[in-house]
Amino acid sequence: MARFGNNKKKAFVKPVMKKPKPGNVDHITGDKIPKSFVFSRGKLPGPLKQLEMDLRKLMLPYTALKLKEKKRNNLKDFLNVAGPMGVTHFLILSKTETAPYLRVARTPQGPTLTFKIKEYALAADVAQAQLRPRSPKDLFQNPPLIVLSGFGTGEQHLKLTTIMFQNIFPAIDINTVKLASCQRIVLLNYNKETKLVDFRHYSIRLQPIGVSRRIRKFVQNHQVPDLRNLQDVSDFVTKAGYGSESEADDEAATVTLASDLGRVNQASSKSAVKLQEIGPRMTLQLVKVEEGLCSGVVIFNEYGNAADTKRQGKQKDAEDLEDVERDGDEGEEDQGDDEED
Amino acid sequence: MPEETHLLEAGGIPKKRKSGHKKGRKTKKKVNAFPGAGEKIKIDNRMRKLFRKRAREYDSDDDEEEEEVAASKDDNAVPLADDEKNLETHGLDDDEPEVSDNENEEEDDEVHPGIMKFTEGVRAFRTAFQSIIKKSVSDDSLGPVMSAHKNLVAEKLAEEETERKAKGEAKKEKHLVGEKGHVKPANYLDAHEKFLISVATKGVVKLFNAVNKAQHAQKGLDASRSKDAKAIKKRRKEAFFSELSKPSFSSAKTPAKVQSSTGAADSEPPAWAPLRDNYMLTNSKLKDWDKMQESSEPEDFRRGSGDSSSDDD
Repeated sequence: MARFGNNKKKAFVKPVMKKPKPGNVDHITGDKIPKSFVFSRGKLPGPLKQLEMDLRKLMLPYTALKLKEKKRNNLKDFLNVAGPMGVTHFLILSKTETAPYLRVARTPQGPTLTFKIKEYALAADVAQAQLRPRSPKDLFQNPPLIVLSGFGTGEQHLKLTTIMFQNIFPAIDINTVKLASCQRIVLLNYNKETKLVDFRHYSIRLQPIGVSRRIRKFVQNHQVPDLRNLQDVSDFVTKAGYGSESEADDEAATVTLASDLGRVNQASSKSAVKLQEIGPRMTLQLVKVEEGLCSGVVIFNEYGNAADTKRQGKQKDAEDLEDVERDGDEGEEDQGDDEED
Repeated sequence: MPEETHLLEAGGIPKKRKSGHKKGRKTKKKVNAFPGAGEKIKIDNRMRKLFRKRAREYDSDDDEEEEEVAASKDDNAVPLADDEKNLETHGLDDDEPEVSDNENEEEDDEVHPGIMKFTEGVRAFRTAFQSIIKKSVSDDSLGPVMSAHKNLVAEKLAEEETERKAKGEAKKEKHLVGEKGHVKPANYLDAHEKFLISVATKGVVKLFNAVNKAQHAQKGLDASRSKDAKAIKKRRKEAFFSELSKPSFSSAKTPAKVQSSTGAADSEPPAWAPLRDNYMLTNSKLKDWDKMQESSEPEDFRRGSGDSSSDDD
């Protein structure tokens, strides 16, 4: 019992606040590393929760994989945590009666892009559809590359989208980057006609060209090959494998490496780039762009009404009318925002 | 102790027998009294007398115990038969009088009600059992229900069924709402997917080649030495621009082809800056990089378009 008394008397020592680690900054290039939170607003059904988890994995390593969210957490809570942690981007999933929504926001000021998820497939679905899903151990240890394609139509909101997604992953310095760290790629392809953005996530694999499959496997696997059916050891090298060496003739997908990569890819020889999808897969429609973080002036609206009415309202100097109209429009088109706060 | 319990059990029977005509209530009581709830039942003198008399019938002391057991067996048998008869009366009213007649006969034989000889007890049980066996069970969906409220049971079951159905439908609907937009991918690559992969591959190839050129140039130079560091800086830029300027002249056709196949007729440059053919070449001065080697200070080339100020908008 005496122990308790002793404990009580102990003076309270204020915990020393550690300064934010220099982890916010890349130690090679000195650039600020963007970090992200992926979370949801409102209750999500099972598959969307899974999608949230997949997105977190995609955003690795600079994201909170095990971010706990509670029902009572509002956007401000996340924002308060984001500051000290150096989190620069929010990916917010929400769900309405019509469709699930994905909001990509920059903290703390915005802007916010709201995407309607037209279709999505989980990483598990993608893996299930494949004969041999690929998941090397170090796949998620490095940030992915990002490729944006078809966004150059000159429209403002597309330009903004481009910038947003370019800065969501850390930049790489071409002079110092190790090719072994380029394991994944995120592709966003804008289709001008349907106005949909295809979101894909691939893993990058390099294979030496001009080496038969048998020898490649032999070098990779470290296993004693089965030579029972061969007359001579030389047959193992000379005998052609099965006829499915079709990959080799794709000239566009070959690279010369700057350095050796793994056991099989020598710097001197050419290698073929192979992509395999790892998911998740999404088809997005850019619905709205807001100036603030999930708030503020609507810069762009897919349905056009909000922006138009605003402009008209300004011309007429009838602000009350404008407000009414805008409110009505937003209520119709974007139920996703109602869940906030 | 076993003797005592037998006595107790036996004592329970005649008490029950007294109220022979109220069968429904009797079964209830029996359930309470039967499984060893001996304390409640008094051993009246009459019972004690009876057992003594029975013991006298068998002259030896050794037989007494056996007799007790037999008696208890009898007693066990009778309530069983009785029990079944009770159940039966609910199900089949026709058979009842016959059985009860039998019982009456048995009771008449004995001086004391509730105690009967071993063989007779078995017979009563047999008749009751046989009457049950003979009974034809109607081919009902419910199966044999030994209750007067057969209709009620059926109703309840039907109600449950409809309830369950409604619940299942609601659940299914909720599941459908949750699954909205969720599409399982096909296990083959269609044209669109192939196109996307080719776009991504092109991006990777371009980056890797650029990296190769940039890093190949600085091979054999030590960055720590100031002289080499300068050379590295110079070479980096040269190599990078040379790499980027190449595809803009040689492979200008291929991207246009791909774009036209998807419907985008005009050859729009890709948004990712390095994918653009004129990446970093918008400044016309830089095009002739080989002629002006004393260009400005070197910079790092980033994956993005390199304008960090664009974050603000």
